[in-house]
Amino acid sequence: MRRGAVLLPAAALLLLSGCAAPSLTGLLPYAREIEDMELVRTLGVDAAEEGVTVTAAAGGADGETGTASAGADTVSAAVLAMQVQGESYLYFGHVGQLLLGEDLARRGVEEALDYTLRDVEMRLETALYLVRDGTAAEALEGAEGSAPDRLEALADGTGLSADTMTRSVKDVLADLADRGASFVPALAADGALTAAGYGILKDGALAAWAEGEAAKGINLILGRVDADVVDAAPPGQPPAALRVVGARSLVRPVYENGALAGLRVECTVEANLAEGPSAVEEDRRQALEAALAEIERARIQAALDLASAQDADYLGLRRAAALLAPWRKTALLDGAGMGELTLTARVEAKIQRSYHADG
Amino acid sequence: MARKSQGAGAAPHPRKIPRFDGPLTPEALGEVFRDCVDFTRRPVALEGLGELTLCYLGGMVRMERVSDYVLRPLAEDAQLRACGSMARAMARMEEGALYNLGVARRDTLDQAAADLVAGWCLLFFPGERAALSFFTGTEEKRSVSAPAGETVLKGARDGFVESVRTNTSIVRRHLKAPELRIKEQTVGRQSLTLVDVLYLEGVTDPGLVEQLWDKLADMDVDGVFSTGGIEEYIVPAHRTPFPLVQYTERSDRFCAGLCEGRVGLLIDGIPLGYLTPAVLGNFLQAPQDKSNSWLLATALTLLRYGCMLLTLFLPALYVAMVTFHQEMIPTRLALSIIAAKQDVPFRSAFEVIVLLLAFEILQEAGLRLPQSIGQTVSIIGGLVVGSAAVEAKIISPAVLIVVAIAGIAGYTMPSQELAGALRLWRFLLAVLASAAGLFGAVMGAAALVVHLAGLESFGVPYLTPFAVSAGAQAREHVFLRRPLPQIKQRPAALRPRNRRKQR
Repeated sequence: MRRGAVLLPAAALLLLSGCAAPSLTGLLPYAREIEDMELVRTLGVDAAEEGVTVTAAAGGADGETGTASAGADTVSAAVLAMQVQGESYLYFGHVGQLLLGEDLARRGVEEALDYTLRDVEMRLETALYLVRDGTAAEALEGAEGSAPDRLEALADGTGLSADTMTRSVKDVLADLADRGASFVPALAADGALTAAGYGILKDGALAAWAEGEAAKGINLILGRVDADVVDAAPPGQPPAALRVVGARSLVRPVYENGALAGLRVECTVEANLAEGPSAVEEDRRQALEAALAEIERARIQAALDLASAQDADYLGLRRAAALLAPWRKTALLDGAGMGELTLTARVEAKIQRSYHADG
Repeated sequence: MARKSQGAGAAPHPRKIPRFDGPLTPEALGEVFRDCVDFTRRPVALEGLGELTLCYLGGMVRMERVSDYVLRPLAEDAQLRACGSMARAMARMEEGALYNLGVARRDTLDQAAADLVAGWCLLFFPGERAALSFFTGTEEKRSVSAPAGETVLKGARDGFVESVRTNTSIVRRHLKAPELRIKEQTVGRQSLTLVDVLYLEGVTDPGLVEQLWDKLADMDVDGVFSTGGIEEYIVPAHRTPFPLVQYTERSDRFCAGLCEGRVGLLIDGIPLGYLTPAVLGNFLQAPQDKSNSWLLATALTLLRYGCMLLTLFLPALYVAMVTFHQEMIPTRLALSIIAAKQDVPFRSAFEVIVLLLAFEILQEAGLRLPQSIGQTVSIIGGLVVGSAAVEAKIISPAVLIVVAIAGIAGYTMPSQELAGALRLWRFLLAVLASAAGLFGAVMGAAALVVHLAGLESFGVPYLTPFAVSAGAQAREHVFLRRPLPQIKQRPAALRPRNRRKQR
């Protein structure tokens, strides 16, 4: 009892002094003071002539961003090389965004994603972006203000945009493992880091870009449209601004002579009348709904055409179709390629209400 | 001894009995109280029969009572003078010739000495081996007032006082059932403290009463001058900092405990009532819970449990997170902590432990000083020194906030003893977290649970009903304070003779 009473405080003092750390490294977790760290919030990986270049953006509480960069054969080696550059320990546990340059993406994203998967500090929930027409280093170093803050704001505001959404490393890795294709939101390497559609990955490398209508079609197919304003101009009627507030899609397999001939995306779009003359009259409402349906159908079709052109099921249409016909799941997943299928879209639009009391 | 163990079958007390041997005479009694300035021995002439001797302790008796109830009849009662012999006069006085309410024949020196101390006066008759003892004690005591240590918002304000007899009377007024039993023992070789055991016959488990009675009977101490003087002898308090006996100044709370089937303890000289057994949940219930709406009481109870976890784990979690598990901290918060800790020369664990110590020092200083100065010390310590230390970059504001929140959360504990135990464990957990992060904190928490699970209060597991089933129909107040009409039964863990408490 007495011995314990002496040993316990002695052990506590030893631990507090820090002298015990080297000898106990194998037994106890390794301590590192938070003030000795630089929190890396955004990591960029670019292709280099030999290997890769890694750029880290560390943000301070005051909004200032500092960047560090190093190149090596592998991402891990580049990160290690970056560690020895500064006084502080670069900590990657708070990396919220991973940016991949276009060249690297065309060469293959697997190395960067694999690093995220295996590193003890990185998280699979990290948002993944491709930098269109540029490098991650350019995007991070040329950003106006704090690049991490800008990217966080972009992620927070995706609900207000109908042509982008956040995708995590986990999502993309899962897609690539499941169907060999995926899509990743793209950024422009301008100072504002604006959204630039999606990059379509096939077999682990960037295959094409989905921009404009096709990007919006991706959001419609996945039901990620919370607020999109569409200008509808029905023939012979005054135009109106419609706020699309929801979309629900299902993918139906189409069979001809018992064989899978195509996939049909059936989408229901809900919108409200935001601007323009009242749509109380049935005729006008139907005309507006028809005009909206046609616009949204074209968007979806553009996204589907990309899947056909690239022969890549980057949206998971087959698996979605299998949900409606689970008894044909094997045939749907392992059957003909996307390029051989006819991909069509059918959209039903519904105007729910106006923002004005007149309906 | 007049108030020796009264329990049937009680174990013989290890005190020397009789304490004073020899014949009961005024001289022997004088020898017992040798060199005592308050011991008074006064001859009283009983005309025609001889000279009696009156003995008492000044200050312990009320002089008017001695004069009016003893001396005046002796001087004025003609029938006493006509008795013819001392033996007949003594018998007559014992039968009521003197007006006194309490009279007893004493024939041992021990009894006589104890009587004098208790405020009785003794009348010796020449040639008789016995003496008559009359109760003429003074009733000087603090008047019954509202409890100072337990705030009463809605409830009885007759708090316990130092006089055990006053306290038993207060309990009797609240619990008028004739089944209320009040057994008494004398504890302490020197203090001869009266200790009363209270319980409701037909409700309380007799085994519980017997257990407590035996523990009291086994006590052989110099005196009982503090709460620990009894508590540490009846429960294994040396094994734990957690309280195993509940005490209260509030008579209503004490009586509610007796009604539940618990055993009460009142100690002469200590203005507190003890309730046994006591489990962890008892210390997290405030007396006014039953006066509040059941919804409010439930919310407050949950808040207290939350505060208990907060005060216990917050410093340890902070140390673990900023030293080992930085990924657990939200990014913005981590950046703020880093900014706040820039230029602070100490390690986080050192900062937290030193600040916890400083917090304890401030608290102790505030308690030991008079209230007005104590508050000033707390304000100076908390505000001035704290903000100065932050500005001087000696400590970081984040640590100051963490320690302050942990400290304030600890103040929500209804029991100061529980709060004290949590404070001790808070240190231990912080040290463990500084050594091994969350692993250390979790190991410490596991050790705490194991420790608590190993405790018992009079055979009732301390973690009842968390670790021990309280029965399918358990509805007593733990987290959820149900509406009182729904609580039909007394807690099963107390093994009451009659579980039903209402229709």
